[in-house]
Amino acid sequence: MRRRDRHVAVSAASILIVALLCAPLIILFGVALNAGAQQVFPPRGISLRWFANVFSRSGFLDAIPFSLELAVLTTVVSLTIGTLAAIGIVRFRVPGRDLLLTALMSPLIVPQVVIGLSFLVTFTALGVHSSFAVILILHVTLALPFTVRVIVSSLARFNISIEEAARSLGAYPVKAFVTITLPAIRSGMLAASIFAFVASFENFTATAFLVWNRSTLPVEIFNYIQTENDPTGAAISALVVLTVAFAITISNRVIGLDALSHR
Amino acid sequence: MEKLGPFVRAAAPACAVLLIFVACLATLAGYSFRPRLGMAQMGSGFTLESYAAFFRDPFNLAYLWRSLWIATYTTAVVLVLGYVVAYHMTVCGPRMRLIITIILLVQFFTSYVIRTYAIVLALGRYGIVNNGLIALGVISVPAKLLFTEFAVAAGLVLVAVPFMVFPVYGSIAGISPNLRAAAGSLGATPAAVFREIVLPLSLPGVAAGVVIVYLFNLTAFITPSLLGGGHVDMIANLIFDRAMNTQDYPFASAAAMVSLLLTLIIVYLLQSGFRRTIRGAER
Repeated sequence: MRRRDRHVAVSAASILIVALLCAPLIILFGVALNAGAQQVFPPRGISLRWFANVFSRSGFLDAIPFSLELAVLTTVVSLTIGTLAAIGIVRFRVPGRDLLLTALMSPLIVPQVVIGLSFLVTFTALGVHSSFAVILILHVTLALPFTVRVIVSSLARFNISIEEAARSLGAYPVKAFVTITLPAIRSGMLAASIFAFVASFENFTATAFLVWNRSTLPVEIFNYIQTENDPTGAAISALVVLTVAFAITISNRVIGLDALSHR
Repeated sequence: MEKLGPFVRAAAPACAVLLIFVACLATLAGYSFRPRLGMAQMGSGFTLESYAAFFRDPFNLAYLWRSLWIATYTTAVVLVLGYVVAYHMTVCGPRMRLIITIILLVQFFTSYVIRTYAIVLALGRYGIVNNGLIALGVISVPAKLLFTEFAVAAGLVLVAVPFMVFPVYGSIAGISPNLRAAAGSLGATPAAVFREIVLPLSLPGVAAGVVIVYLFNLTAFITPSLLGGGHVDMIANLIFDRAMNTQDYPFASAAAMVSLLLTLIIVYLLQSGFRRTIRGAER
């Protein structure tokens, strides 16, 4: 094969693979638009009734705000804690900081079922059966590796002498950090927020162990498609995919996609 | 050590979260040694009966072998597919790269439940794959695709490809174009440039991708649940079932500890294996 042909072959294979990844999501939208109750593709007749049906189910009406609350709180808490830890790791050359960074990454290599079960047995033993409190702690644990990693690499690239200049001109350390450093690493902060939000909003496996009194949106979708057989599950899924696609397009405009795909 | 004070204050909240995490894992480890009474109840004292029950029953070991086998071959397929896409992204135009990146990020940020469910819809009895095969005359009646190992493997592969593409793309894109051009101008064929320069220098990305995908697929839960429908259960299904349905916490904890240890051993083996290969390639 000549060089050009080889490039064409690689490009064709790659486009085919990406198309294969897209196909199920396109089918998802098609199924959600069905007029009838069958989950067929291409849809037989077009209607939005299954999208409307999402908002008549009390399970989804409770799970959507619950998942959003958890994701927002997880983002705020893990971003705050993660930024503080990142400052400690990048700015203070003390022994043990590499160990701390490795330890903070450890939730990423523990299987989700193991984490979920460990939270279930521990908080059951403590008599805590509040989905909100326990899932929030779980999601902060799962989001922290992402926020710490992204902010550590942003802070490491930032030239600290600018902040020191502000301090030598009389700014308090906190003020110098907030007014000089934070704006300079804002794309890293935004990327970290997106990772934290998604780590919470999409988590299923570990969260599924902890739905005592309330369930999150992924768990609710899972339960719905296990028990019901109409396009409502496809409709709520399509809404989530649309939201994600919209958020990514916005991020592309604001911070560029490299901040999200280069980790 | 005047900086130790501020360091400890900055790191304290993160350490508190880490401490809760470690305490939960320690509780799990403790539970795996408690006598089994069933229905979320446990006796006190120390016993190895849960581990003995796990390893004595060939059914339990079958979950483990199936998980290891499926994770191994799906990771290999994901590596090939992910590498092709990542390589393409380094040679295509910026517009195509943006389109592929957006598609992969949408996948990356959408819940596995949703992406797996979308594959369920495609593989169903009257799904597009069956209808397409019938229309093409390949088969005359709908084939049973759903609830087979093929469906589970296809789901694991499709869901994991973005995890492979991003690290591999990062490491190939990091190779200096001058290096490739220099090798070419010295007479190396494109195949030789790929073999001698691109492939060895992309190994760190490959290593990262393989570790993530293998870990993810070894303890996959959603994919075998939705696409296997109880016929292709993997180790995570056993743990979830024993914890949530029979509420046999000591047994579920023992099975979870076995999975955790297996995971850590595999991460260690993969990482040290890749480190040796990368060092060999640098020489």
